[in-house]
Amino acid sequence: MSDKPVIGSKRTVVGRRGLLVGASAMAAASRLGMPYIGNAAAADPVKIGMIWAKTGSIVDQSEYLAQGGMLALEQRKNTLLGRPAEIVWLDEPNPQGAQQNAERLVGEHKVVGMVGGALSSFALAISSVAKKAKIPYVAANAAAGAITGASCNKYTFRLQPPVDVHTNVLAPYCMGVGKKWYVLTAAYAFGQDIKKAFTDYNKANGGTIVGADETPVGTSDFSSIILKIRAAKPDVVIGGVAASDLTTFLKQWNELGMRGKIPFAEIAVGNTDLWGVGPEAADGLFTLTWYYKNPNNTAEDKVFIEDYTKKHNRPPADKAWMGWYGMKALLDSIENAKSTEPAKIVEALENWSVPRGPIKTAYRKFDHQMTSSLLVASIKPKITDKWDYFDVKAELPNTEADIEKAFGSQAQSACKMDGL
Amino acid sequence: MFEWDMILSQAANGLVLGFLYVLIATGLSIIFGMLGIVNFAHGSFFALGAYFALVLNRDFGWGAALLAPIATGLLGMVVEVVLIRRLYGKEPLLGLILTFALALLAEAILRLIFGGAPVPFSPPKMLSGVFVYGPILITKYRLVVLAVTVVALIAFWAFLEYTAFGRIIRAGSRDAEMVGLLGINLPIVLTGVFGIGCLLAGLAGMLAGPLWTVNPSMAAGAIMPAFVIVTIGGLGSYPGAIVAGLMVGLVTALTSINYADWSNAAMYILMAVILLLRPRGLFGEKWERFE
Repeated sequence: MSDKPVIGSKRTVVGRRGLLVGASAMAAASRLGMPYIGNAAAADPVKIGMIWAKTGSIVDQSEYLAQGGMLALEQRKNTLLGRPAEIVWLDEPNPQGAQQNAERLVGEHKVVGMVGGALSSFALAISSVAKKAKIPYVAANAAAGAITGASCNKYTFRLQPPVDVHTNVLAPYCMGVGKKWYVLTAAYAFGQDIKKAFTDYNKANGGTIVGADETPVGTSDFSSIILKIRAAKPDVVIGGVAASDLTTFLKQWNELGMRGKIPFAEIAVGNTDLWGVGPEAADGLFTLTWYYKNPNNTAEDKVFIEDYTKKHNRPPADKAWMGWYGMKALLDSIENAKSTEPAKIVEALENWSVPRGPIKTAYRKFDHQMTSSLLVASIKPKITDKWDYFDVKAELPNTEADIEKAFGSQAQSACKMDGL
Repeated sequence: MFEWDMILSQAANGLVLGFLYVLIATGLSIIFGMLGIVNFAHGSFFALGAYFALVLNRDFGWGAALLAPIATGLLGMVVEVVLIRRLYGKEPLLGLILTFALALLAEAILRLIFGGAPVPFSPPKMLSGVFVYGPILITKYRLVVLAVTVVALIAFWAFLEYTAFGRIIRAGSRDAEMVGLLGINLPIVLTGVFGIGCLLAGLAGMLAGPLWTVNPSMAAGAIMPAFVIVTIGGLGSYPGAIVAGLMVGLVTALTSINYADWSNAAMYILMAVILLLRPRGLFGEKWERFE
């Protein structure tokens, strides 16, 4: 047999249909989860499920979320209730994939609790599995209101303040700049919540929305949108695009000469989104859930920063902290419950509380939303440290009374909490 | 008047996007046409081009970054020699599986080296600023991207049309077996073709890096438009890839004017319409190999 390759023989024929079918099959296959099975230190470990994206547009953030979650268990020497413990990390390529992998964690891996849901659509999918399977779940990153609102359930807890809370903190700053807003949001739950919340706030305060666009996740060219914004001449651009889409937008915003000309503001951004933009192009006013250089960080946070920096040779992004804090809440609650029974863990999560300065972080019993402060931050005028991009301007709300005002009362909540 | 200004500016920026797509799709098209391989890892070479340019620019400046497409092409040749050529004469599905695995491997390696977070990469300072010509507004960097891609595509066309190697590629894409029987060293030709395809993807990656987010999963933003363009233009058709790429770029940009949320879906709708009217694509011909 000849060593020469045989091209064009009957066996290598790939027709147009073959190409399309093959490409579609591969595209579909790329959406399948790739399991990571943790190493069991001994028989019968306590298993915790973790669902953070390993592929797709949110993977930039989910790597840090996962690192934080892993560190939370490592800080406990990989033990829980005196038994070895391990994390089983599965992918969330899309909402369907997130749901299927949550079902696998429960059915196949027998996890006692789950943390994950990098995007709101993923978190809602996982939450439905948590409810059905009666397994505690902490949504540590997703911000859509429905998670602890209309779609709340007894087994789902959420760390990130919802869009409305972020909006109530940032919108007054934006209104101080000007009343004509252009709203650019992603075409899914998170973006749609931002669009509604900021539009409502703007109109309630006598402002005008001069333009609004929803863009698909994974948009690679925003020049068309930026040209529209330029023509609309708003006072402020309200952003609601996440992760790598935000990075791309801000790079092109700068490239098209708009940086510094029209202020840009967005809620709940990740540090990594701005790190990817670079010091020359980074711009905007943001709300952050946490920042490693915040002088008000707790002693526990400082230990986390030290451990993380030692392990990864760089300071933790906000997402690493969120992954860590969400996992820590679950692990603390398993220890506090002295049991892996779901009902007892849920009860312990409802009673879990950590003081942070003048307030305490805790999950409210009536909707399972964590109450906490947010940071209002702007980009430093001159960035000299490649990790330190933000000047923290305020930490709000900062009293228990303001917390209730910002997060809303039980009467205002859309959550109708079910039983165990 | 305002609307026309907007449409012309959008069209100019759509052309830049379209030409980037053309570069990616052309490489994919010639690899398929000559090697019969549906290269699912083609987007990875686009990403590698961006990362090569980023590292070379960071360490040696923009002059060195221009070597990124060549580095990508050379890496492509190594991949062809080590992996791809084992697929010739085998079931087409094996090619899909191997190149898909290669795409995952490339992403994992990039993630291992650079981390999952995006890495900053800006256009050269000398190309910052906006160029305004009548109603058209476009950045200097995008104009350079436009010029470079047009020159690269003309050069590639001239290479195919007027060089002996180009004639072999064209003949080989029609009947590779016959080219081999004529005594031409086919393995070297195929390695060269794969390298050229990867070089074009790397060039697109280098040019797109300062505009798009540079992260390990950036290949996904390139590979699907490339497949759509190859399908619209007609398999293995060079002019087809150019026309289809520009159409996709323009349709995507113009859809953003009033229906931004449909901008990504627009190219798929365009593909469906074209295939209904011309099942072989715009420039698709009846090739014995592909029927």
